[in-house]
Amino acid sequence: MFIDKPTSQLVAEKSKYAIQLDEQAAQLKGQLLKDIQRSIYVYRIDCGGCNGCEIEIFAALTPLFDVERFGIKVVSSPRHADVLVYTGSMTRSMRVPAMRAYHAAPDPKICVAYGACGCSGGIFHDLYCVWGGADKFIPIDVYIPGCPPTPAATVYGFAMALGMLGQKMKTTHHIQGDDERALLPHPKVPLALRVDVDREARRMAGYLYGNQIAEKFMEIFESDPKHVEQNVQSYLDGQNDPRLTEIMDRLVQIHLNQGEK
Amino acid sequence: MLKLFREVLKVGTATLPYPFEPIEQMPGFRGKPHHDPEKCIACAACATACPPNALNITTDLDQGVQTWSLFMGRCIYCGRCEEVCPTGAIMLSPDFELAVMNKQDLFERADYRLATCRLCGNYFAPVKEIEYVSALLRQSNIPEDELNNTLSMLEVCPACKRKNDVPKTVNLFQEEGSDVH
Repeated sequence: MFIDKPTSQLVAEKSKYAIQLDEQAAQLKGQLLKDIQRSIYVYRIDCGGCNGCEIEIFAALTPLFDVERFGIKVVSSPRHADVLVYTGSMTRSMRVPAMRAYHAAPDPKICVAYGACGCSGGIFHDLYCVWGGADKFIPIDVYIPGCPPTPAATVYGFAMALGMLGQKMKTTHHIQGDDERALLPHPKVPLALRVDVDREARRMAGYLYGNQIAEKFMEIFESDPKHVEQNVQSYLDGQNDPRLTEIMDRLVQIHLNQGEK
Repeated sequence: MLKLFREVLKVGTATLPYPFEPIEQMPGFRGKPHHDPEKCIACAACATACPPNALNITTDLDQGVQTWSLFMGRCIYCGRCEEVCPTGAIMLSPDFELAVMNKQDLFERADYRLATCRLCGNYFAPVKEIEYVSALLRQSNIPEDELNNTLSMLEVCPACKRKNDVPKTVNLFQEEGSDVH
């Protein structure tokens, strides 16, 4: 069920083994984050992931996205690395290798938490053997969420770390207004018809396309409740899609049956 | 050699210009869940459905506040929240540029007021949820007296409903003359 923890506590929560940066290292790192524009060497540490993130990292290296045009290169030793990319939910047994890689990389270094697991433990966050994200003890500079992040999201994350692009996400806090209320969708459509149409469309086409089809039907109904059958037919003639025709015909049938009652 | 150059010229550049130009996402791409706080009724359907607990609902019964929160760092973009949302407040957007330097920026939060029970005065359910349900009941074609009866019970908390229902049920059984035990 739900985790009863305020969000501020979730952010602040860190392991007692967390690595603390000394003043000099922090200053160097700040300078690096500000000035890094040249080629960077990336070392990738899989701390218990499903390999989805690795596939997307290598997809970002393919000619289609080609991160090597920014000088980003994946190296096979942390001793050559400027950037450490932590993927995976940080299992108990990968904790020490992750720390060894961190200490092996020369200072100053940038640490990236990659994927939902690297950022917070992701879907594995409450497993007994999972520490829940690299930031529990590694000082992380850039978080790239996604499950897995697409190659474009990877390119964006690295471009942000290199100072080429700005951050787009911002934390928001909405407080309910005085006369704020949720409006009923399609108030002109009778409730019984709306519910039945929605259910049937979702049953036949799944929630995403079912919703879209039901919305379209409701739009046609609202524009002219008396000539639904003809208007649906003229819409379907333009679409030329037998699956859509089948579903829409069912919805019209539901409408006609309810009209008879 | 020349043949190769001709081939290269024919194929052109395969590399996408992203991040210098925007990239087009395929239709149906599941990106950041976009939450419309005005449409949300804080019913907690999304928090119950969310597989990795990226969506959370916490209830503060002392202050009378129900807090909806989304932690983007945990979201797996499965779309379950969109599927279960009764008001369409959550929709998965094609937005994928989610990387942050500060973890706090991955959090979204919305506070909703709780309504008090008509009988005992305790907080029990979000005001917006009760208003939405009463609007739905008014829209449905149930008879007038039944509708008024149901609407009056909307503002009563489950504990008080139970307390009221037990004597009623006992009376019903006694009227019928059957054995309650």
